[in-house]
Amino acid sequence: MLFLSRTQVITALGAVLLVLFVLELVRRRRLSEEYSLLWVLASTVIAVLGFATPLLTWITHLLGFLGESSTTFAFGLAFSTAMLLYLSLKQSRLSYENHALTRELALLRNEVEALNRGRAGDTR
Amino acid sequence: MTHRVLVIIPAHDEQASLPATLAEVREKAPSVDVLVVDDGSFDATSRVARAAGVPVLRHPVNLGVGGALQTGFRWACEHGYDIGVQLDADGQHDPAYLPALLAPVVEGRADVSIGSRFVSSTGYRAPWNRRLGMLLFSGVVRLALGRPISDTTSGFRAYHRRVMEVCQHDFPKDFPDAPLLIGLARRGFRLDEVPVVMRERRAGTSFYTLGKQLYYPYKNLLASLMALIRKPI
Repeated sequence: MLFLSRTQVITALGAVLLVLFVLELVRRRRLSEEYSLLWVLASTVIAVLGFATPLLTWITHLLGFLGESSTTFAFGLAFSTAMLLYLSLKQSRLSYENHALTRELALLRNEVEALNRGRAGDTR
Repeated sequence: MTHRVLVIIPAHDEQASLPATLAEVREKAPSVDVLVVDDGSFDATSRVARAAGVPVLRHPVNLGVGGALQTGFRWACEHGYDIGVQLDADGQHDPAYLPALLAPVVEGRADVSIGSRFVSSTGYRAPWNRRLGMLLFSGVVRLALGRPISDTTSGFRAYHRRVMEVCQHDFPKDFPDAPLLIGLARRGFRLDEVPVVMRERRAGTSFYTLGKQLYYPYKNLLASLMALIRKPI
């Protein structure tokens, strides 16, 4: 038996579609290569697990899951968690940088105004 | 040697109270310069400050008190000030206490001087939840530093230039309270407290809104712990 269950087929096909969709997003410059890497890697792993039934069965027994579909979902969940943490990290960094830029902007704006006042004084 | 002192006033939607505060500083402490940091106000805060003839730095978006102070510190350092004073726009802090607040820093006894409501009994009564928080964080600071700072949430402080230079790069974003004091003490800066009397705010609303009341204890406890265990940058 090539496929264990209908769930497995759906998961595997879903993963393939996701890879294609992610690549399409990159092609249209909507998603940067950096972020696509994690998505493509994770989807590929899920797709491989879905199609290579012996491998999936082996991993399932190795990790002690009750069913093959649990293994697939466990991998998916692990990835989601990793991705969320990664995005929180990115978000923290962006907000820090944004903060610094805002402060710098206020200082520069003040300097420009001072310079403009000085020039207005010269031409008087 | 006389010290050049800059009073930094972080202001967010404070058009109602700012003019009176600026006038009071000018009247009671004519020798100090004033800078207003408009932290992304939607009202005429910047305009009323400019009309009063003080320099204004304007954040295009709201960053919080910490961000506004950091901008002010940077400006103070760039313009060669020796001491920066943090003073609220809402009139809670009486500029008449400025000489007392500045004294420890001017005389070289401290790097940070904190205007404290509790050093001696000054008749200040906060709401119970605020009081509980103050108690908690003065306890945290006492545990961390091994010495008491009675008023960790006071926003009336004087900072020596050395401190401002460090704070430009590393400063709590939203609430510059207990974690800041712990971080500064860990860097070897000397803190001192000076008794002051604080007043009710003139108008407007406090920075500390309801949502922040829940976030504040979590964030400040975590940040205090981090300030204690992480290596200063």
